Amino acid sequence: MTSTEKVTEVIRTQDIDIDAALDPVEADGVFRDSRECAALAVAGGKGEVLLSPPTPRPKKG
Amino acid sequence: MEQSGTPSLLKGAVQDLATGVASALSSGGHGPVSGDLSPAAAGADGFAPAAVRVLGADFLLPHVLAGTRPDAAELALFRQAVEAYPPRADAAPTVLWSHWAMRRTLRVLAPDTADGTTAEPRADWLELADWRTLTHQLSVLASLALPGADSAVARVAGKRNLDLARGFVRAVRRRDWLQAAGAGRWLSLLDGVPDTLGLPAGLDFVELMADGDPQVGLQVRAARRLATGALV
Repeated sequence: MTSTEKVTEVIRTQDIDIDAALDPVEADGVFRDSRECAALAVAGGKGEVLLSPPTPRPKKG
Repeated sequence: MEQSGTPSLLKGAVQDLATGVASALSSGGHGPVSGDLSPAAAGADGFAPAAVRVLGADFLLPHVLAGTRPDAAELALFRQAVEAYPPRADAAPTVLWSHWAMRRTLRVLAPDTADGTTAEPRADWLELADWRTLTHQLSVLASLALPGADSAVARVAGKRNLDLARGFVRAVRRRDWLQAAGAGRWLSLLDGVPDTLGLPAGLDFVELMADGDPQVGLQVRAARRLATGALV
């Protein structure tokens, strides 16, 4: 980055909307593949229970 | 995955600060502010106050957990961030609550210099949120997840612990490591979290997959600290 670009970037940063950083939209999700599932199994392989969601509750009505 | 749209230099400054806080959570100390920021951010015309406002109350988290008083430079910068970036009248709930959390931190750590108490913002938006939105919003407000620190947000989190557990799993599966880490911090504080969640292993996984993201590291270390009360 040249010094001119850096100055421009700093000025732009000074001008940002802080609220956007404090109220971010949810990031787009990318579901993991089977290789990463295997990594999770290894990470939880110390006798601990693997990640699993709570049992779904009955729907009302 | 890209975690947020914060412009690059400010985001870098926030990450610099998060690195310092995460390190302090591990070591038990807290380095000088100038050591956590690049010269461009820490200079007189820098954006350090903006970065502190974005990081929020967690900027002083090591002191809150250790019961120590920040040094004068840290307090001055924190107070500057609070005063320079008040929420607008039409601000989103997370903006209102993050500012409220910073003011509460000032009252706790420097009661002799803080202003009076402030009424809590409303939390009904959180009570009505579906479990996905609840998890996202609570993750953004993870700085409110502190032992013995009551708030309307914390009360909703306590009542909806299973929804939050479900959201934690969803965040991990979506590879949203920052959201997962923030949700994990809340879960480490709450009662009634299912053992089947495997939270400690899940936090290890989140930290591993986040590949050194300092903001994720901060939340994971805070979660472990809340769960064990020990240095992490």
